[in-house]
Amino acid sequence: MFLKLAWLNIWRNGRRTMITVASVFFAVLLAITFRSVTDGVYENMIHNVVSYSSGYLQIHKKGYWDEQSIDNSFEADEELSKNLLDNPKVTGLMPRLETFALSSFADKTKGVMVLGIDPTSEKKVNQLNEKVVEGIYFESNSAEQILIGSGLAEQLNAKVNDTLVLIGQGYHASSAAGKFNIVGILKLGSPELNSNVIYMPLKTSQYLHGAENRLTSLSIMLGKTSDLESSKEAIESVIDTEAYEVMTWKQMMPEMDQFIEADSSGHYIVIGILYIIISFGLFGTLLMMTFERNREFGILIAIGMKKHLLAYVILLESIMISLMGCLMGVLGGTLIVHLLTEYPVQFSGSLREVYEDYGFEPIIYFSGNIRIFIYQTLIVLVLASLLSLYPGFKVLRLRPVDAINS
Amino acid sequence: MGKTIIDAHNVSKTYKETAVPVRALQDVHLHIEEGEFVALVGPSGSGKSTLLNMIGGLDEPTSGTVYVDGVEITKLPENKLIDFRLQNIGFVFQSFNLIPVLTSRENIGFVLQLQKVSKKDREKRVLELLREVDLEEKIDSRPGELSGGQQQRVAVARALASKPKIILADEPTANLDSKSASNLLDIMAKLNKEEKITFLFSTHDQRVIEKARRVITLVDGKVDSDVNQKPT
Repeated sequence: MFLKLAWLNIWRNGRRTMITVASVFFAVLLAITFRSVTDGVYENMIHNVVSYSSGYLQIHKKGYWDEQSIDNSFEADEELSKNLLDNPKVTGLMPRLETFALSSFADKTKGVMVLGIDPTSEKKVNQLNEKVVEGIYFESNSAEQILIGSGLAEQLNAKVNDTLVLIGQGYHASSAAGKFNIVGILKLGSPELNSNVIYMPLKTSQYLHGAENRLTSLSIMLGKTSDLESSKEAIESVIDTEAYEVMTWKQMMPEMDQFIEADSSGHYIVIGILYIIISFGLFGTLLMMTFERNREFGILIAIGMKKHLLAYVILLESIMISLMGCLMGVLGGTLIVHLLTEYPVQFSGSLREVYEDYGFEPIIYFSGNIRIFIYQTLIVLVLASLLSLYPGFKVLRLRPVDAINS
Repeated sequence: MGKTIIDAHNVSKTYKETAVPVRALQDVHLHIEEGEFVALVGPSGSGKSTLLNMIGGLDEPTSGTVYVDGVEITKLPENKLIDFRLQNIGFVFQSFNLIPVLTSRENIGFVLQLQKVSKKDREKRVLELLREVDLEEKIDSRPGELSGGQQQRVAVARALASKPKIILADEPTANLDSKSASNLLDIMAKLNKEEKITFLFSTHDQRVIEKARRVITLVDGKVDSDVNQKPT
């Protein structure tokens, strides 16, 4: 009965209710679209960055992160890889041997990061082969070949087919030196990586460093929207945490996490303002709906309706109006996000070039994460409940005789 | 002598919200027995509605006590008082005051629902009541689709829904034409006679006064006269 009464009450002034519903609808639609695009851009940015660097998660020998030395490497373990790949959230593994060396070409030298990689895994997971702008990708996992970043090539004045000398320190203080043929030049998204990185097939790198079958890290790729922390916990439960440490990209690249957090705060403020505006609209409607029925409330209390039941009816009215706007907003938002995922907006002109220079696809990504839709709906419903507190409180303090005579 | 249903002792009410305090009731004593049909008369501002509000527990006296069916309602906490009204007192107001979005069935059934009466029993009682006020055919009509007289009859049916011992009616015929007023009075008199429901109504309407068996006149917040008469 109370549900029916609340429903009938909100249609006493249908035009006013529709205006309020429309304001909730537009706010939810805007909030969903806005969150979807910002989350989509972040997710894509994270995916781009982590796939060329850390992976979403990384496994090291315990203590490696505090002292990043080849001496803290660990032996590649088939069983470990199999255990990790058994997790449905894990989409790929990238074994790496990461060291530092001095590179030299002609009369130029530069300190570089040498990444020993499995060419097949990297090709599959981050399409590293597509970043080759000159020359070719690795032909095998043991070729005496290297790929260098375009920035480094420029600084060393080296070209494809030139030979680079690398001198560094190997496993257990052995010396690591060799000559390597540059088979390709890469253009990577991160300018820092572009100017400092040399990729080398994993087996070649292990041989160079006297670290047969050893890795410094095993990078783990996840689905874009997988929950990082729960995935980390799941992985920790299947490995020997006395021997290995698992780190998230947030731990390894805190500056990127902080940038996203800071940038998100601005977005939260915009969405907050949006909700404050609709709150005023909804509050105004609730107040009008309450005060214009003051006399009726007095009568209802007189005939035996308890005040808390009246406050409950007002709460139901507020939730019904908001829920209608929310459902329409979620429906509209789903449609927009779906359309823009199917037919993404592509950048053109100089913006496109900037994106491509940074190694990102020149596309505006939208996130279809269900949490965005649920959170926006919950926020509006919580707001509606909070806003009905004041009229509810007024009803609880109502004196029937004053209300009847009002 | 019948059972006392309303007993007011030294009831006074002073409104202090105004610049000059207004004494709406001054030491009113009132004693009404079960099954009486009483008219409360007097000029505007004499305290008729205030006294009805005190008896109905809608307002508290500044001093004095009110007993209804042996319960001192002036001492009841709010929720118990609302429950007491629901079970014992029916109200009929001057301007009908039905819930405009509900049908006759729902307006009457609403009170029964507050009493947690089952759906089946509710339906039965609603039909019974609408039959009593001769409005069976308007069961699914909303107040806006009814005439003033019909709305007031639905309001009476709503007041009767909870099987109250008392019905308090504040100027029930004030907004009705003479035919509707007469019709309503006949229904009220019949209910009083057949179901022994006590009626106390404030009125200016001579037709209503003539139907009453007891007429209490208030002047300046005091009982001026209390007369038993033979109704016409």
